[in-house]
Amino acid sequence: MSETTGTVPKSAVARPATSRLHLPLSLSAREALAAYLFLTPFMVFFLIFVVRAVITAVNMSFYDWQILRPGQLYVGLDNYVELFNDYVWWIAVKNTIVFTALTVFGTTVVALAAAVAVTQPIRGQSVFRVILYMPTLLSVGVVGLIWVWLLSTQFGIINYLLSFLGIRPINWLGDEALVIPALSLTTIWWGFGFPMLIFIAGIQSIPDQLYEAARIDGANGWQLFWYITLPLLRPTILFVTVTGVISHFQVFGQPFIMTGGGPGRGSYTVIYYLFEIAWRAFRMGYGSAVAVSLAVIIAIFTAIQFRLIGRRVEY
Amino acid sequence: MSKRPLFAFLVTILSIFVLSMSVVSIQAQEEEAEPEVLPSPTPAIAELGTGGTHISFWNGLTGSDGVTLNEMLAQFVEENPDISVTTEIVDWNTLYTKLQAAFVAGQPPELILLHASEIAQFASYGVLKDLSSWYSDGGGWFPVDDLSATTYDGMIYEGVPYGIPLDNHGRGLWINTDAFERAGVDPDMEPPTTYEGWVELFQQLTLDVNGNNAASPDFDPENVAQWGFAVGEWPFVNWYSVLHQHGGSMLSEDGTTATVNSPESILALQQFVDLVYTYNVSPPAAGFDTWAGFAAGNVAVLPTGTWFRNFAVLQTDINWKAWPQLQFGDQKATWFGIHTFMVPATLEGEKLEAVERLIQWVSEHQVDWASSGQVPARLSAQAQLDPETYPTNILLGQTFTEYGVLEPKHVAMLELRAAIEPELGAALNGQKSAEEALNDAAERMQQALDRVN
Amino acid sequence: MTLLETYVFRNSGKILAYALLISLSIFVLFPLLFSLSQSFMTNQEVNRWPPPMIPTEPTLDSYRQLFTQPDLKLPIWLRNSLFAAAAYTTAVIVICAPAAYAFARLRFPGNNLLFGLLLLTIMIPGQVTLIPNFLLMRDLKFLDTFHALIWPGAANVFGVFLLRQFFMQIPRELEEAAVLDGASYWGRFRHVILPLSTNALTALGIFVFLAHYNDLLWPFVVTNSLEMRTLPVGLQVLNSSYAGQYRPLVLAGAVFATVPIVVVYIIFQRRIIKGVALTGMGGR
Repeated sequence: MSETTGTVPKSAVARPATSRLHLPLSLSAREALAAYLFLTPFMVFFLIFVVRAVITAVNMSFYDWQILRPGQLYVGLDNYVELFNDYVWWIAVKNTIVFTALTVFGTTVVALAAAVAVTQPIRGQSVFRVILYMPTLLSVGVVGLIWVWLLSTQFGIINYLLSFLGIRPINWLGDEALVIPALSLTTIWWGFGFPMLIFIAGIQSIPDQLYEAARIDGANGWQLFWYITLPLLRPTILFVTVTGVISHFQVFGQPFIMTGGGPGRGSYTVIYYLFEIAWRAFRMGYGSAVAVSLAVIIAIFTAIQFRLIGRRVEY
Repeated sequence: MSKRPLFAFLVTILSIFVLSMSVVSIQAQEEEAEPEVLPSPTPAIAELGTGGTHISFWNGLTGSDGVTLNEMLAQFVEENPDISVTTEIVDWNTLYTKLQAAFVAGQPPELILLHASEIAQFASYGVLKDLSSWYSDGGGWFPVDDLSATTYDGMIYEGVPYGIPLDNHGRGLWINTDAFERAGVDPDMEPPTTYEGWVELFQQLTLDVNGNNAASPDFDPENVAQWGFAVGEWPFVNWYSVLHQHGGSMLSEDGTTATVNSPESILALQQFVDLVYTYNVSPPAAGFDTWAGFAAGNVAVLPTGTWFRNFAVLQTDINWKAWPQLQFGDQKATWFGIHTFMVPATLEGEKLEAVERLIQWVSEHQVDWASSGQVPARLSAQAQLDPETYPTNILLGQTFTEYGVLEPKHVAMLELRAAIEPELGAALNGQKSAEEALNDAAERMQQALDRVN
Repeated sequence: MTLLETYVFRNSGKILAYALLISLSIFVLFPLLFSLSQSFMTNQEVNRWPPPMIPTEPTLDSYRQLFTQPDLKLPIWLRNSLFAAAAYTTAVIVICAPAAYAFARLRFPGNNLLFGLLLLTIMIPGQVTLIPNFLLMRDLKFLDTFHALIWPGAANVFGVFLLRQFFMQIPRELEEAAVLDGASYWGRFRHVILPLSTNALTALGIFVFLAHYNDLLWPFVVTNSLEMRTLPVGLQVLNSSYAGQYRPLVLAGAVFATVPIVVVYIIFQRRIIKGVALTGMGGR
């Protein structure tokens, strides 16, 4: 975080004459007051809809909380103990981690490749940019609808195309080993547009002189990418992967619409399981414990990422 | 580009909106000019009548049965012009979520259609109305003796009836007679009554691309053109029926112990697993669209249910007939459910009176409900069915009355189902053995039972 | 080297770029065009094998049905979605921009601590707050109104983060000139910072707008009546009820829902790129 607020004196000159606040406050106090006023509207909403809600949810996780029941039963840490011993929870965690890893990796690679390609001095840049961003404009329901059909074992066009290569129909969404990769592929298709935009912005912000200098030294295209683009995109990659991990850990719509968690529990994800607990089994308290635990897992993975990629990056 | 992008942004949105509106109205006008007959899906919402007393009615009848019910209600509001009805159809899973939210919000619909197996859960929260005064044994209009004992019992939670039954719906087999003939099997044969008999039949009916059946040594299980059976459609119902055929049950008599890992239960599930992995007569459960497979002629015997009738009649050009539920065990047993009207506990006065009138009207016109494919709940209505039009309803209805089994009454029934269904799927997809899957299911179910009881 | 070879060598980067972009475009467009094509097919045709790519007899029946089925109130749902998303976007910008300014430029006790706290909440799954906020909506009598669709997400942490990064890029000198002219903090924000931020605000506006427009679970839980549904909720009901048997109809609904946002995106896409570039998300 670049705190560069070192140049106050100049403003101090003009301050006393023009201040609208005729309070006998020092400059820094006035600045702080202004800051709090700027923050007030946001903080009101933040406290009500985020902080209060999170506290309520954490509190709920200590109850056997059923939404329709008049009184709720305090159970202490029971929900967390149960969760720790709940093999479905661990299946969901495993599936979610695999899904997130595949999706974040795939999304980052595809987005970066697309961004590098689209920032070359070529024609039709904006056309490609629009095309490649299009899936991101769809809602998850539409994405699911499209891909269920593409991946269908019996009627799917992917299997049809593969049949020309002599490949037998593949049970994409019905095979335990393939279902998570298939959902991941769907998600990469849907979601690489946004990180692509961010990479484009990152690449455009790299000064041309760096490339010029390297070219004079005889670097080829690959070396330019490897020694200039990639290192300078480090903060961007961190941003893309961190936000990617946070959002993909919360995957819900894809399994909900495309597989119903199957085959067996082969595509149960944490939020899918949470949804089942909260709205099918009517157990909001246990569901809250799941949600809180997921937040902890996400925090751990985010911290790891900062460790791995983010050493020299500041936000 | 404008210098004020936000402003431009909002203007764009507005103009798109206006544009889409005008397109819509033009479309609508054209439509009025030349009405066309299209095969219409069930409307997810229907607004019926204009009467002052308004009833909002939620149900999960997303199939063609929803159309039937809407037609009945249209007639009802015609005869009762002071009442108007809005029916809203969402798939069952979604309906449970919406219902909980609506009850919590204090805005439940005036009328709900759920299943008998969910009565215990909702009644235990005190959100359902006690309907004992509507039944004849409480002095009301619904004759108790016009229901099978199982059906009436299904309405009751802790001695109080909370629902009025609309139908019995349950498992039946749809057989593709052409597929039988392709395999050289006479479709008019008597259905087998033992597991071995069924396996033999399915083997004859399963053909590979070269025309060899599954019993032949030259059979190529990698290239099957026609399956004898399909385990994928709602495996819970298959397993539950066969479980009872072997004399097993899902819960102990007193409802405190999960008995889904009993030998009977493991045997029941194993028999279905073997159809896939030992005998190669069924595709695995996941990734095979059973209805489309039947419509495409790829499945000879489809285990489905009463609700399949209209799809089979209207949406396939397959020559078919219905058989009762298959029999793998010593006893006859078949799963069935009851679509049940329920009323929120908070409903009073004029609306309650209107809802009662609606339910009574529908109950007295249950014969019409048969065109949905389902079997009317009232025995008198079942007796009035025309055998020419409703052979499947009559055939399957008799099996429900004679040896149908409902799901156990339990306040955590939805949770118990959520515990077992993925395990059945896992076994049928070869991810776990039947025994492992059912042990895991039993453990989870037992936890739920211990918590609730 | 022949002329051709020289050309290829000189432009190998470009050729590679084209090859990559064209194959990616096929990857992206094929599912979209295939589905678009299916929306013009009959119910029977989509179930055929091998799957037809182009309708043999294109029909507008599904689109017609979209507007004549009495239960599909697509115009109302579209209006709801657009109105709620636009109002929400406005609320986010009005609420978040001043907060972002305070974090970016003003010194006050707890600045870093508070900002760190905000960032932490990004990691909390939306499902955590779903039920508490639902109960709050009930108590405020906001259920089934636009209030429920607009206010709960208005404190958008991502928005504050994005704008703060952007405001920090704006040279301080520009503000100092305003200070010399006697501008208050509000004056600096309103007359110096905001006019310089149109691209960033547009980018944020679009992202926020899209996210809200496509949101499913929250509007599904908090809206009840047919008249208050948003397009994704309506489509989801359509999908879960019809998709098995009326795929072209559902796809036609999807096309109807998608076209408006594609248009919005195409109009603003240049500004979005600039906005993103300047927020520092893309590195510095």
